[in-house]
Amino acid sequence: MVIVKRKELSPWERLYLPEVARGLALTLRAIFRPKVTRRYPEEPLPVTPVTRGQPRLVLLEDGEHLACVSCGLCEAACPAYAITIDGGETARFIEREPVRFEIDMLRCILCGFCEEACPKDAIFMSDELELADFSRRAQVYDIDKLKRPRAALQKRIDYFYGVNDRWRKSSSTS
Amino acid sequence: MSVFAVSLLKVLLIYGGMLTLAAGMTLAERKVSAWIQYRIGPDRVGPFGTLQPVADGIKFLFKEELVPAGANRFLFRMAPVLAAAPPMLAVAVIPCAGELTIGGVQTRLSIADLDISALYVVAIGGLSIYGVILGGWSSNSKYSLLGGLRASAQMVSYELALILCILSVTLLAGSLNLHVIVDAQAGPIWNWNVFSQPLAFLLFVVATFAETNRHPFDFAECEPELVGGFHTEYSSMRFALFFLGEYCAMIVMASLTATFFLGGADVPFWRDAPWYLGLCAFLAKTSLFLFLFLWVRWTLPRFRFDQLMALGWKVMLPLALANLFLTGVYVSLAG
Repeated sequence: MVIVKRKELSPWERLYLPEVARGLALTLRAIFRPKVTRRYPEEPLPVTPVTRGQPRLVLLEDGEHLACVSCGLCEAACPAYAITIDGGETARFIEREPVRFEIDMLRCILCGFCEEACPKDAIFMSDELELADFSRRAQVYDIDKLKRPRAALQKRIDYFYGVNDRWRKSSSTS
Repeated sequence: MSVFAVSLLKVLLIYGGMLTLAAGMTLAERKVSAWIQYRIGPDRVGPFGTLQPVADGIKFLFKEELVPAGANRFLFRMAPVLAAAPPMLAVAVIPCAGELTIGGVQTRLSIADLDISALYVVAIGGLSIYGVILGGWSSNSKYSLLGGLRASAQMVSYELALILCILSVTLLAGSLNLHVIVDAQAGPIWNWNVFSQPLAFLLFVVATFAETNRHPFDFAECEPELVGGFHTEYSSMRFALFFLGEYCAMIVMASLTATFFLGGADVPFWRDAPWYLGLCAFLAKTSLFLFLFLWVRWTLPRFRFDQLMALGWKVMLPLALANLFLTGVYVSLAG
């Protein structure tokens, strides 16, 4: 059993009303303090290179083909089974490219494992986070929705290299 | 214009004004709570969120109305009406402004000019408990029942102190007519009853908080303990009616406080002020107390129920009685 020692109130405090007035003064001052609310759609969240948004696929310099060779490592690494890849042949030197590359954004947990698994620097976490849509089907992003020019992801790519420099140094960029 | 047309005009004006004010209060409540918590509050519907009450109203209308199994259907449907009606009736006698002439008819800006209007307000105000207790009882839910029980106990206890404070004021004015009470406070600012009856003023303000079930005395609702209390089982427009009743009761109580203690529609130091200035003064004084309702709600924590009853019976009632006694002695000696 614990005996709780109650603080003896002074007669002034026991009057209650002076303390009420003190409390009211406090909240009145609070009204004129600066607000902390972020008006979200107009004021977007602050984005840094560390931000892991939705994964996006990197386009090659020609702006037409993906860097992806559909090796399936990201698909295997994905803990949420969000990635589906169907590989196909191509006449280009790399011989393989994805004919279908889909990420179910409702399953994606933005963990970044795909980014770490990729041997070809073809998939990176972007700073895009907005997910609202009107159907579940629309949340399954295909290649058209996923591809981004390399420049759009450059900040994240640089950060990624900085972190992983010690073991990524020798690896080539597709 | 006939007297009937003038009365009709006044009814439309005062009820329209009160319902608009009640809708505005729902927004003000959210805005003030937001400001006190360093937030912005609703600002999406209309400029600065001013159309938020309209959006809320539309939403309430489209919600499904549920009646719990085992509820007394008739009383369950009746209770919100009983909760919303009394404050709307009580506003009929409140003097919103002094003498004015509408279409050749000399009149005062209150719907009814009763000789016993103070008594009428108290009597009608006492009815508002029926809505709460019937709503709590007919819901067939233990939380609602407890909320209704607490509300009835609380309102009965605090109504005593409230009425005793009104009595002290009527003793000074020598009349139960609110217009006479207002006129008695006209002139310089120190004629206001708040200066001659400071204790009664204090007790009255505290009692109005208990009467309207507002923080820190909102035991009828009591979200953390009673899941919303008497209106737990209500949904849709009937739920909204309870709140309409609560906000109207706040408006009535705030305007009564202004009338009894701050000279109502009197403009200080100006006996013959035009009626529209009187109306402005009345609205300003009323909104002062309306803001106090919100301000206190977002400042103070709730009492314990035993503390509430102890405060009502052991502190407020004896003080109000002593104040009434002293006022009586003063009036009989002076008059």
